[in-house]
Amino acid sequence: MILTPKITIRLVLVGLFGVLLQLTFFSQVELFHVAPNVLPALVVCFGLLGGSMTGAVSGFAIGFLLDCLLIQPLGGASLVLIAIGYAAGTFRERFEIHSRLVVPLMCAVMTLLGELGFGAVEAMFGIDTSVSVLVVRDILIKSLFAFFLGWAIYVGMRRLVRPALVDEATVRRTRRPTVLGA
Amino acid sequence: MYRKQVRRRRAVLALLIVGSFALLTLTYGQGSNSLQRGVTAVFAPVSTVLDRALKPARDLINWVDETFDARGKNQKLEEELQVARKEAVSGKAALAENKELSALLKLDKSAAIPEGAEPVTGRVIALSPTVWFSDVTIDVGSGDGVTVNDPVVNGDGLIGRVTAVTGGTSKVMLLSDHSSKVSVRIVPAGVQGIVKASVGEPERLVLGFLNSDKSIRKGESVVTAGWHGEGIESRFPPNIPVGEVTKATLIEQEAQERSIVRPYADLRNLDTVQVLTGGTP
Repeated sequence: MILTPKITIRLVLVGLFGVLLQLTFFSQVELFHVAPNVLPALVVCFGLLGGSMTGAVSGFAIGFLLDCLLIQPLGGASLVLIAIGYAAGTFRERFEIHSRLVVPLMCAVMTLLGELGFGAVEAMFGIDTSVSVLVVRDILIKSLFAFFLGWAIYVGMRRLVRPALVDEATVRRTRRPTVLGA
Repeated sequence: MYRKQVRRRRAVLALLIVGSFALLTLTYGQGSNSLQRGVTAVFAPVSTVLDRALKPARDLINWVDETFDARGKNQKLEEELQVARKEAVSGKAALAENKELSALLKLDKSAAIPEGAEPVTGRVIALSPTVWFSDVTIDVGSGDGVTVNDPVVNGDGLIGRVTAVTGGTSKVMLLSDHSSKVSVRIVPAGVQGIVKASVGEPERLVLGFLNSDKSIRKGESVVTAGWHGEGIESRFPPNIPVGEVTKATLIEQEAQERSIVRPYADLRNLDTVQVLTGGTP
């Protein structure tokens, strides 16, 4: 992705809107008693479209904003989301995405790992009570939600940053001209 | 050229990770800092507008979820209704008697709102997205008289306490948070204990009770006890309804010294809450 000032502003706005939408909408709706968490999927999309650095920086920024708005200790969410963004970006840099299933699968797996990461950060400071096995069910359902929502986020973001995508420009150049009347 | 690029990437990544750890170390254990207060001051109005604008869509999705849930609960609720009707008759008589006694003792009519506490009504504007935290952000803060440790209730009972405040928002730690501990009393048994969360199950709290010869039974009410001691930071005024005992087998009581409590408040579905300000001991 070629980061022009215009594209950077778009990415910042997407990040801001994503965090606000998560806190005011997704966190407050429940299906099967579980609220979706779209932030890991959003960071995965940043990484897949922009590479490892864009993924890591967006993960840090989104985590930082999340911690600020939830009045939590700063840095916990950033640590987890940096790892997610960097991993997604590195995947994009090393492998070509051929199947349409790669993005939703990546979002689901990263959401699962992200939730475990949030748990690990919390455990680092001590969990002073019992942990129900239902946590595992909740995490799996969250990953399932991420599978379905991840693709929509990816398509939307790809459309938004299309002028900056390197592979998109290549596709446009190599497309065969339409022959009228053929 | 490529190596230089790789080195730069690694340096940025290391900087971000070190920065995150530094922030975590510096801000852990603090209520709120000036940076958070500034950010929330900027975004709180936007959150409030978004929250209100998205309420119909949220309600629609939650209605679908609740409809599925309600089908299973219907039978159980009908049975509970029959029991409640019988109890209501005896309850009315007890209420009349209670009024007379309260007048005699000059007690406050409202048991849920302690004397001297001023309720401040707020709305939930943000919820934590992970399964590990049970915090909500509400749209009232220090500007409305809210202070740290103020109890927070809704129409059903206690939901938690304020753990951090900014000018216009407050963070509320719910009863279902893993670090929540509330000193409680079981009525009418009188047994005292501590209610803790069970992570991942907001409808199930674990009541670890202190040594007592009295046994407790299913259906008994749990209210705040009002005391705090070593390891228990709760400063809730006494007699705020918390929940009811749903499982109290003798084996659990004797061997494990615990039973299970269902909170009266639906901690998964919070909208309007009241912060009891000014009454924190």
